[in-house]
Order: sequence, then structure tokens, then C-alpha cells
Amino acid sequence: MGSSQWPAGSRWRGARSLWPWLGLLAFLALVRWSKGAGFVDAYAVLSRPFWPGSAQKEWLQSAATLESKAQLQLLQHDNKRLRQLLELKQRSNQDQVPAAVISRNAAAWWQQLELGQGSAAGLASGDAVIGPGGLIGRIQSVTPSTARVKLLTAPGSQIGVWVPRTRQHALLVGVGTARPQLRFIDKDVKARPGDLVSTSPASTLLPPNVPVAVIQTLDSRAVPAPEGFVQLIAAPEAVDWVQVQIR
Amino acid sequence: MARLHTQPICVASALLVPMVSLAQPPWLTLSGVAPSWAVLWLLPWALVDGPVSGTIAGAALGLVLDGLGGDGLTLLPSLTLLGWWFGRLGRRGRPIQRSLSLGLLAWIGAMVVGVSLWLQLRLVQGLDASVLQHWAWHLCLTQALITGLLAPMIVSWQLLEWRRRSPA
Repeated sequence: MGSSQWPAGSRWRGARSLWPWLGLLAFLALVRWSKGAGFVDAYAVLSRPFWPGSAQKEWLQSAATLESKAQLQLLQHDNKRLRQLLELKQRSNQDQVPAAVISRNAAAWWQQLELGQGSAAGLASGDAVIGPGGLIGRIQSVTPSTARVKLLTAPGSQIGVWVPRTRQHALLVGVGTARPQLRFIDKDVKARPGDLVSTSPASTLLPPNVPVAVIQTLDSRAVPAPEGFVQLIAAPEAVDWVQVQIR
Repeated sequence: MARLHTQPICVASALLVPMVSLAQPPWLTLSGVAPSWAVLWLLPWALVDGPVSGTIAGAALGLVLDGLGGDGLTLLPSLTLLGWWFGRLGRRGRPIQRSLSLGLLAWIGAMVVGVSLWLQLRLVQGLDASVLQHWAWHLCLTQALITGLLAPMIVSWQLLEWRRRSPA
């Protein structure tokens, strides 16, 4: 019996040493089946220092802002044209006067702001005052260089508003606290908490379609008509600059 | 022996009241409510200078502050009354100078001002929503508290200064 070049059982020994590699292949098949899980994550961890930085994020954001600005401009043009067709009151940004808030009395018996612009800049009593986000009040009195704003939160302040989603009119009444009261006029109210409140599109005293507040609570069983409380979009206690819509 | 109202610098100090009321330093407020600066100035003035001068000073401050704030409410009656009452207190018995007494007087003064404004809201303007009542009382009590807390510091100093200038 001549001894073979390969001792008996050597094939099996070779197969046994092959097992780990077969295991690895099976594992890689799993990776393939899972579309590269693990590898991508490892790559993400390793490459994190080289990810596109904040600069690129800002580019993207500024591009998005630009896009929405352009869109806004187009819509404003469109809106202006349509309002002209309907012969409604115009509103453009040209007749807005920026004014600094020089004195603030948001938590006092009379809630008011003093502005650093007056009748010399074209401001007059009754003009709407718009903070960042929405309407905050109306001008109560002016001197040549200052103007006094009665805030929407002031007790006794009343303006007519409407809820654009349900197209219902309501009265926004200041009660001293940071949240004015919303009194509806008709009984059947479909508005819900979270709805936007704006000035009426047909308003003549105030600029039309200015956002004012968001409904926070609503008591639909109140007598004689439903009422609720709203959160103003522009917080008067934190406003440093305002825009005055002159007429 | 010059009285306070004959010393221009003392009279001019009253101008600080409308100025500070307008500036309303936010670090001197209690949950956003500022002290009643008019009471803090009027209390030492009337204690030193007597009821007549106190009444006139109260009325003057009331007119100026109504011009600044107003909006249908007036401080005139309450400040005039306080000026007269503080003046009487200053003329009777031993001079008031303890911190606790000054704090208490300022607290009462601010309460009188607050209650008078609340009555005006309620009776004259006819606003009686329950939320508004809560707000008015919160404002009234908070303002009285911060005024009473500041009085021992501010009023004591004014009293010292003015008693030195106008020894009784």
C-alpha cells in the first residue's frame, strides 16, 4: 500500500480550515441582503469630520429663504392685482414706518408702548402697529417725535378680527393679561384651537389680512356667543422695533 | 430752615418720577410689574414737607402721570389723598423713620392707588370680565409688594437727604 501524497482525511481537514471563511461569506451575504448595513454606518462614523459643514447648510437654508421670498413677492403681486379687480383697500409695504420702542409698559394699569417716531414721520392716531409676526396694537396719540401705542392686551381695547379658515368675524377684547379674549358674533362657530386669527380682508380701519393671533382655548357653550382666548403672534413685552402702517 | 418746596433742586427731583416711570428698569420689577414710583417719591416728600405741600405735589404728579398713561384712568384722586395723609402723619407725633413703618406706608399707598384704579375700571369703564378682575388684583398686589419692598431703601435715603436740607 503506497502512501498517498495526501494523508487520509486531509480533504476534511482542509474543509474544516475553510469553515471560518465560509462563515465570513455567509455573513457578507447577510450584509448584501441587508443592503450594506453596518458598512454604511461605519463609514458614517469615520467620515463624520468631513461631512458638509454648517456653511453648506446655511447656503441651502438661504436658498430656501430666497425661494420663499420670491414666491411671496409673486403672490403679493397676484394678490394686489386681484384686490384691484375687487376694488378693495390696498396695502403695500411702502407706507410702513419703522419705529423703535422707547418705553414699554406691558404689565401696568395702562398697557402701552412709546415709539420713537411721531407725527413728523407721518404717524397719526389710529394707525396699526405691527410687530414681528403680527399686529400688536393701534396708535392712541402722537406728538411730533413720539407716538403712544395702545396694545391689544390693554383692558378696553377692542378690534374686529376674523378667522380666515372658517370665515367668521369676531371681536378681540383686551383683558389686561397677555392673552386677549376672542368674542364671536354668530352662535354657530366652527373655529378650533390652533386656528389663525387675522384682521378682516375687508377692513378699512386696520390693514387687511394681517395675522394677529392663534386661538388657544374656545368655550363654545358660552352665552350669548362662543368665546375663547388667543395667543398673540407678536409678543408686545419683547418687541424692540415695530412697523407702523400709516394711512 | 428752608422748606423743601423752596429749594429748586428738591422740586426738580420730582421730574425723576415720570422719567423713571417711562424707563421702567426691568431689573426692578416683580414678575414684570414695576413699583409705583409716584408713591415712593411722594411718601418722603409729604412726610418732610407737610400736608399742604404733599397734597399739591400729589396732584401735580397725578396730572403728569395721567398725561403719560391715562387712557381713561386717573391717578389724580388717589395721589392727592395720599399726599395729604402722608403729610398729616409727618406732622403728628414722632418723625417716622423706621424701615418697617416706611415699607408699610408705601405698601398702603400703592394699595390705595391700585384699588382706586381697579374701581375706575370696574365702575367707570364698566369692565367686569372675571379674567380682568383676576389680572387687576394680581397687578394691584404685586405692585404694592414691590413698592413696599423698595421703600425702606429708597424712601429712607430720600428722608435722610431731605431732613438734612430742611430740619423741622
